[in-house]
Amino acid sequence: MQIDELPEEIQGLIEQLDEAAEDEDEEAVEELTEKLLTTGVDMEALTLKKLSISVMDGEEEISAGWTKVALKIGIDPFKTLLEGLAAGMSLIGDKYAKGEAFVPQLMIASSSMYGGMELLAPYMEANTSGEEPSTVVIGTVEGDVHDIGKNLVKTLLSANGFNCVDLGNDVEADRFIEAAKEYKATAVSMSTLMTTTMAEMPKVISMLESGGLRDKVKVMVGGAPITTDYAARIGADVSPDDAAGAASWLKEIITSSPSNTDRWN
Amino acid sequence: MATEMTSRERFLAMLNNKPVDRVPVLTGSTMVVEYIEKSGGKWPEYHSNPEMMVNAAGMMYTDAGLDTVVVPFGMFVESIALGLDVKMGRIDIQPSVRSFFKKPEEVNYENFLENPYVKTTIDAIKLAKEKYPDAAIVPFLVAPVTLAGDLMGAENLSMLSIKCLQKEKQMEKMEEWISIALEINKIYAQACVEAGADLLYYSDASASPNLVMPEFYYKVGVPVEKELGDFIHNMGCPWELHICGDTVPIIEGMAATGADCLSVEQAVDMKKAVEIAGNVPIVGNVTPLLMVEGTEEQIICETRKGLDGGAKASMLGCGTPPLATSDRLKTWVKAAADWSAEKL
Repeated sequence: MQIDELPEEIQGLIEQLDEAAEDEDEEAVEELTEKLLTTGVDMEALTLKKLSISVMDGEEEISAGWTKVALKIGIDPFKTLLEGLAAGMSLIGDKYAKGEAFVPQLMIASSSMYGGMELLAPYMEANTSGEEPSTVVIGTVEGDVHDIGKNLVKTLLSANGFNCVDLGNDVEADRFIEAAKEYKATAVSMSTLMTTTMAEMPKVISMLESGGLRDKVKVMVGGAPITTDYAARIGADVSPDDAAGAASWLKEIITSSPSNTDRWN
Repeated sequence: MATEMTSRERFLAMLNNKPVDRVPVLTGSTMVVEYIEKSGGKWPEYHSNPEMMVNAAGMMYTDAGLDTVVVPFGMFVESIALGLDVKMGRIDIQPSVRSFFKKPEEVNYENFLENPYVKTTIDAIKLAKEKYPDAAIVPFLVAPVTLAGDLMGAENLSMLSIKCLQKEKQMEKMEEWISIALEINKIYAQACVEAGADLLYYSDASASPNLVMPEFYYKVGVPVEKELGDFIHNMGCPWELHICGDTVPIIEGMAATGADCLSVEQAVDMKKAVEIAGNVPIVGNVTPLLMVEGTEEQIICETRKGLDGGAKASMLGCGTPPLATSDRLKTWVKAAADWSAEKL
């Protein structure tokens, strides 16, 4: 759907709804939703489009407002999440990968996506499709408290359907191993911003090896000082260029790998 | 080439674009395990014991042959003195700030100079001046944008840095945090200059294009760094500015702060940076990890590459890693000296 191709009257109502959402005026949001419904516009397509744009632009209040619209008009919350909120996160992730966006833009987009997700959470029933999402154990290595990059990787992995077990920052090596075992992880993702803590990464990898777990999980390493060369040298599978690269690499690799059940049994 | 100079003379000449006998070799933070152990330092005492601190930091000058003695070890002193939680790390891991304030009103810096860690820096500067009069004594300090980020949390800084460009109200919030950071910076700077520092080395790690947008740096970062820099210059002391990441998009702004030299990391194309910075000396940009696991050839190659690119001093792209080895540090200093003998 192209919003700027809609009739002017509808575009006017959308703008008013944006403003009401920004003012957190719930009554006005409801009223304008009703008005939009009477215009006959494809409300589901419009809402998903508005959600993806507002997340991409990091407009937290607006994406919260349109999430409420989605709930009101009865869009399946999973669809709202994947085709609205997460789609917006992927859009800004792609721009970042092309050098057209900066980290703060990713962060406000991420915060908008999570804001919407919180509103959806009470309406989301457990996924009954029978297909378990792949789990990624993620954390910043011991000695390093920087977790912005790690959080962005987590956001983009989540937006792409991965279940992330976030160990936080300053994570001791053995906690990566325990979590990988506990959650039968598909991948372990380690990050560090500092050259001083890079040596923690090979430590985790050698612990995976000595525990007989290395062939069960993919290992991603990343952060400002980490290069592809370094990743290869320490026996990691990949050092993606950025958060978006991490999600697309992992998505691709799991389709060509044995299933979790096969690897862990 | 100038006649033989002391490290201090060499360093100050470089800052003033005057001839040097060899290019200076400089360091940022210097918590090097080998030197701590050789000088009898004990963790975590060496963070609060000026003597242990100076003895370890001094070996970068006396043993490795660098031109600066840099104290303290790490970017946590300002935060711990303000009452934030700091995890002290290990002998090979620098302390890190673990908490932040919710509101600017919570920040109390009335007794900042009374804090034992701040006092350690001040005493260490005095002691280093006494022990190593021919070295350049350089305190390693947290610059205003980064300090504001420590106060409000780095994630909040990054988000507010974009929101403040969009909305006036958010800009007011940002300015409130920044002005507190600046006040603290000035108090600490004055004490360091009065203790005899030869230059104040500021890291504004969080002003990096990796974390905030260049537009924010130009609008907020440059003016606040300049204000701090002018304050330092008025006391008759030079200052150096380091920002992490590929800083080419903001070098022009860094040069406009009035800093006496700019330190850049290995992600930066030295030639480009030098071209943009004009008369402001650029220093850098050897990969720090080479001091831990680099071969002699790699160290020489990177040192020469930076200097060939126009760097006025050789410096690591970030602090010296704790696991750096003295033989590699010496290889680096020799590489800079050999380059100087050939090219100066």
